[in-house]
Amino acid sequence: MVIRIAQEEWRTLLRNRAGVIATMLLVALVLVAAFVSLERRTRIEADRAGYQASVDADFDKQPARHPHRMVHYGQFVFRPLAPLAFFDTGVDSYTGNTIFLEGHRQNSANFAEARQSSLLLRFGQLTPAFVLQTLAPLLLIFLAFTSVARERERGTLRLLRAQGVDGPRLVAGKLMGHGAIALAIGLPAFLVLIGFAAMGMADWAPIALLILGYAVWLLIWAMLAVVISCFASRSRDALAALVALWMVGVILLPRALPEVAAVETILPTRIETEVALHRDLARIGDSHDPEDPYFNAFKQRTLARYGVSRVEDLPVQYAGLVGMEGERLSTDLYARATNEVSAREASQNARVHGFAVLSPLIAIRQLSMALTASDVTAHQDFLDQAEAFRYRFVQTLNRMQAVLIPHIGGEDPRVSAENWKRVPRFAYQPYDPLRSNAASIGGNLMVLLGWLVGLSVLATLAARRIGGIVR
Amino acid sequence: MPHSSAIAPAIEIRGLHHRYGAREVLRGIDLQVAPGQIYALLGGNGAGKSTTLNALLGFLAPASGTVRVCGIDPAAAPAEARARLAYVPESVALYDHLSARENIDYFLALAGAERGRSSVIDPALEAVGLPGHAWDKRVGGFSKGMRQKVAIALALARHVPVLLLDEPTSGLDPKATLEFNALLATARARDVAILMVTHDLLSAVDIADRIGFLAEGRIEEERTAGPTGERFDLNALHARYANPGVAA
Amino acid sequence: MSRWFAELRLIRRSYLSLWSLALLFALSALAVVSGLQHVARQHATIERVAKAQAQDFAAVAATHGKPDGDAGDAAYYSFLLTRDAPPPLAFAAIGQRDIQPYVLRVRALGLQQQLYDAEAINAELALPGVFDWAFVLVYLAPLIVIALAHDLVTGEREGGRLRLLLSMPGHGLWWRRIGLRYALVMMALGLPLVAGTVLSTAPLAGTGAMLLAAALYLGFWFGVALLVGSAVQASATAAAGLIGCWILLTLVLPTLANAAITRAIPAAKGVDLTLAQREAVHRGWDIAKGDTFERFFLNHPEWRGREAFEGRFHWKWYYAIHQVGDETVATDVAAYRTSLLAREQWSARAGYLLPGVAAQSVLHRIADTDQAAQLHYQDSVATFHTTLRRFFYPYLFADRPFTRADFERIPAYVPRAPTGSLPLAPLLALLATAALLLAIGGYRIARVSGAGRA
Repeated sequence: MVIRIAQEEWRTLLRNRAGVIATMLLVALVLVAAFVSLERRTRIEADRAGYQASVDADFDKQPARHPHRMVHYGQFVFRPLAPLAFFDTGVDSYTGNTIFLEGHRQNSANFAEARQSSLLLRFGQLTPAFVLQTLAPLLLIFLAFTSVARERERGTLRLLRAQGVDGPRLVAGKLMGHGAIALAIGLPAFLVLIGFAAMGMADWAPIALLILGYAVWLLIWAMLAVVISCFASRSRDALAALVALWMVGVILLPRALPEVAAVETILPTRIETEVALHRDLARIGDSHDPEDPYFNAFKQRTLARYGVSRVEDLPVQYAGLVGMEGERLSTDLYARATNEVSAREASQNARVHGFAVLSPLIAIRQLSMALTASDVTAHQDFLDQAEAFRYRFVQTLNRMQAVLIPHIGGEDPRVSAENWKRVPRFAYQPYDPLRSNAASIGGNLMVLLGWLVGLSVLATLAARRIGGIVR
Repeated sequence: MPHSSAIAPAIEIRGLHHRYGAREVLRGIDLQVAPGQIYALLGGNGAGKSTTLNALLGFLAPASGTVRVCGIDPAAAPAEARARLAYVPESVALYDHLSARENIDYFLALAGAERGRSSVIDPALEAVGLPGHAWDKRVGGFSKGMRQKVAIALALARHVPVLLLDEPTSGLDPKATLEFNALLATARARDVAILMVTHDLLSAVDIADRIGFLAEGRIEEERTAGPTGERFDLNALHARYANPGVAA
Repeated sequence: MSRWFAELRLIRRSYLSLWSLALLFALSALAVVSGLQHVARQHATIERVAKAQAQDFAAVAATHGKPDGDAGDAAYYSFLLTRDAPPPLAFAAIGQRDIQPYVLRVRALGLQQQLYDAEAINAELALPGVFDWAFVLVYLAPLIVIALAHDLVTGEREGGRLRLLLSMPGHGLWWRRIGLRYALVMMALGLPLVAGTVLSTAPLAGTGAMLLAAALYLGFWFGVALLVGSAVQASATAAAGLIGCWILLTLVLPTLANAAITRAIPAAKGVDLTLAQREAVHRGWDIAKGDTFERFFLNHPEWRGREAFEGRFHWKWYYAIHQVGDETVATDVAAYRTSLLAREQWSARAGYLLPGVAAQSVLHRIADTDQAAQLHYQDSVATFHTTLRRFFYPYLFADRPFTRADFERIPAYVPRAPTGSLPLAPLLALLATAALLLAIGGYRIARVSGAGRA
């Protein structure tokens, strides 16, 4: 009986020419988006890899120099794009993708795509995620808003009742019909993902979760449309209500909430962070001041470690050691400042995430970005890796200065160019969302499933109500 | 109503032809309705009743022939023609969320009435016999008969010389039909020329002064009620009506 | 007049119309409030930063402002604040201001290694885009127009009133209905904007220009609604068709256009010039000092003959290296700018076909919050940087001491003059599309006949 109703629904939809065309257009759009986005990712990834190789080669090619000069020649690192970022570019366009790393300074990640684009970018980026998150719900609304309201308007509800179809069976049939359609609409995107995993370009686990997440997301909209169609007395009212829900949940809330979050938690500017940092550094001590208590203590410790009584007797260059200590102190302070800022960012974001209960878009967006490694957490992971690398390579150069310079001496002591090859290069450790961001992924999946459960309860109520009306 | 118009017909159709594509729906219609006269145009489905009405309303330009409403060609000057006629559609649909009064007021405003509309609405509602308690109720809950009364009240309030009625009695219960007939008599008494298009022979026989039988785009026959109030021979008429195309 | 009032009464009694208009008014008001708040936040940030910066500067002056102070140290440690306060109308169209920096510190070192520094933004908050009046206009107002106008004809046909309506004398029923809805939508949308303008004491002329753009954009949508509404039989079909148009014009086609433009005009020159500048600056340490000075004197001949110094290092040489580094990449900088402007231009051209994009670009040009505004800001920073360098050169090349008093003389950044303007091309494009659609829609609707069976 339930299957018969679902079949009838499919037959009706197949006869709806506009619906069939819209569905085909959406499927085409998913595929075009996947193709365009894949090409884009490949190009960006090749660009960045090319830049990374070229700057690494440039570093090797530097002539003999004082190591401290190489500390400021620095290294550029480019953020590799996660393989799945083609599916959801996430915040990639809004975050800088290259950082200049040098001694005792933490530079910003620069050249974010959004800063180099016109306002057109703010209309959104064509990715499968955009199509599934924004457009697919509208299509599902259009396919399902008449599902039950139509039967009521045309009086066929009475007819069905006379044939022994009760409310729960009718609603179950309609839900089954539109649920299947929702999954069918998601299928092309899912196949692209599966193909991607099958070719070994991404792990199966995030792909499976991604498919699960989007399947639930699409089911939510199909269910919502059927449920609203049950409650509405006219198809028109159902359509108006559903489009309004879509507008508020998908378009409005995600845009309006950030302002609320930004007002509640102030994000300090880099300038303020820098100023505070310089103040804190100055507070610790001044290595040029012979009376400075901190660096005097450091000197005593160093002399004791090498078992000598005078700086001149040290087997290493003392200035190099002071440089290393300075780097350690400033890096600590930078880390503290970074943690402070990212805690504030996290609290802003948490404020928005709280509204996932009202708008499941927020949950699917978070889930999708997290699993495709294109969210802020993944970006932060890159920043952390870059910062850790910065500390390593700067300290390597400082150590070279301390160890090698005393043996070279002269007016203009330079370390031979051979040594630059021994300085570590940035090797990005691929970010594993399932290990690093499991809580967020699980939480958002739970929110989505919660929506599904909530809608099931509503559907039961609606089914009972229909039974009541017909009787 | 000037006396001269009692002579000149308010509705005049001569040699009206019309076709939709290859299908010829009107093949030369001739009819006149004088002020104070009720003309019932009888015909089955597809006989051409609606096309004739559309020509009078200026909704279509006829292929050939003349159509005049108070001497005005509705196809050439639709606004002028419409200013002189009131049309009551088959199933009167109004703005459901407005009351009877508000509906009439809206349509009067649409017809160009400026101030003092309320002074003509109440007498018109009174005249059509809509119960007073219903005047300020939303018409969404009105029966077909009540809606029709509102539409006729609108027509009366507009004080136009021509009234066009599309299947006015279909779906009315017997009591409502009687009331409707009385209403038409009121309008006739006001010298309004009334053309009703219908397939309801009984109602036409009850009220019309003249009956035209329309079949396959032609008026096959016209009968006129006697001047002394003698009515039609129902049996003969029914035979005529049920067998269009057969020469009488 | 009485006909207009009658139509107004009819709208007043329609729940869908009233709710739609009330919703639009509420959204517009909320957007204006949110925009004002965003702008206030930017002002507060600038104030906060200026305060922190003043403390930092005072500390530098105290440390390095000695009677025999070295101008090189002073220039090296003195950061100067530049800022780009939100223009008066930014509250209505925040544009790129949420992701572009509006405070930047520069010092007399190479400009190209400082100019592109990013400020701290929360990328996740920036991702969905800002909620401002421009967003309400471009995205949401068309949906309200659709709600109000999709069933203009079909609603009457479905309600069975079409023949009765058309049998009434008088002209212009549809135009009156459209015109009234148009006016009401403009009022619901415009009143909060005008209120916001008055509150923020922004120039009313700019608001007028924004309302003009809004009127044209919504005129386009009313035209589309007329066209679709007169072409189909059922209201539901009309609504679905119109929402389809909306999806296409505001969601799908702009993203496609953006993908095409990004693909066609790469902006990698930014990275290139940064890398090239670094090579140039660091090479300066390894080549003969005379070579650097020769290159420097090409554009700074007034210091020729003052380059000699004793020892391995002198600040004037260091700053010459940095300036030469900037000059070396001048063509890259120009190419980078050109690519950004080309993207902007092609986006504007996309607006010739996509009214939403045109409205977007008109509003943000009026508000002075688009990419062009950011480039103007960068230009003003570059000008200031030149002033700053040239302020230090006499101290460096003439070996004048840099005292505490000299810190007071360091030039301060002068904010750029607002460059908001009324861009004619996209406005004309909007006018043309709106007029065309309204004309076709009007023609079609005038031909709606009562002849068909109701």
